[in-house]
Amino acid sequence: MFKLQSTKNSGANSWIMQRISGIALVVLMIGHYILMHYHPDSGHTYDAVLGRMQYSWYRIIDLTFLSLGMYHGLNGIWGIFRDYNMKPWLKISVISALVIFGIAFTVWGYSIIFSIPYLKS
Amino acid sequence: MADEYKGIKTFDQKEWVKENLSYKKDSGSWAWIFHRVTGLALIGYLFLHVYSLSTLTSGRTAFETKMQSFLSPPLLALEWFLFIIVLFHSLNGVRIVLVDWADGAKYHKTLYRFSWIIGIILFLLMGYIMFSHEILKFFGK
Repeated sequence: MFKLQSTKNSGANSWIMQRISGIALVVLMIGHYILMHYHPDSGHTYDAVLGRMQYSWYRIIDLTFLSLGMYHGLNGIWGIFRDYNMKPWLKISVISALVIFGIAFTVWGYSIIFSIPYLKS
Repeated sequence: MADEYKGIKTFDQKEWVKENLSYKKDSGSWAWIFHRVTGLALIGYLFLHVYSLSTLTSGRTAFETKMQSFLSPPLLALEWFLFIIVLFHSLNGVRIVLVDWADGAKYHKTLYRFSWIIGIILFLLMGYIMFSHEILKFFGK
C-alpha cells in the first residue's frame, strides 16, 4: 500500500539542495549573530526589532533565513533517518511528522514577522 | 554467525552500540558525529527560537518582559556557547562542501585542523562583540 519508489529517488536533489542552503545559511547565520549581539539592545528590545522590520528587504531576508533553516534542518534529520533501514510505514510517518512540524513552525514564524506593524511616517 | 567466517570480523546486530563505539575514530569520524549532534541541537534551537519570539505578536510589554529574562549573564553566556555549536556546524559544513566539490578529500584533515583554529578565533571575537558593552561599562567608559 505504501510503496516508496526509492530507486527513482536517489537523494541527489536533496543532497545538492542541502549544500546550497547550507552555504547560504553560513553567511546568514553569522550575520544574524553579529547583528543581534553587537549591542545588548539590538537583539532584545522591541524598538530595535520594529526599526529593522520597517525595511521590506529585511523582512524578506528574515523569511528566507527561516525557510532555509527549517528546510536544511528537517532535511538533515531526514538524512539521519535515511541511514537506517526503515519499514515503509515508519518512513511515511517520519516524513509526515517532519513536513507537518516544519510547515507549522514556518507558518508560525511567518505570522510573527507579518504581525509586526509598519509605522506610518 | 561469527564462527562461520573465521578470521573475518562480522557485525553482531544485537551489540550494535558496542560495535559502533569500538570503531577506531579519526578526525573525520568525530567531525561526522559532531556534525549530527550539533545539527540536531540547531534545529531544536530553531523551533525554540520561533516559540520564544512569538511574544512579538502581543506587543511591546510582553516582548520586552520576556527578552529581559534572556539578558541575564548566565543566559547571555549560554548564547555565546551556542555559537560554538553554530561555528562547528558552519565550518564543518564548509569543509564538507570542499570535500564534495573541491577535491577536499585530499586535504580534509588539514581543513579539520584549520576549521578548529578559525573557529576558536571567531568564538573569541564573538565573545568580544557580545560582551564589549559590559566590558567597557566595567572599566567606566
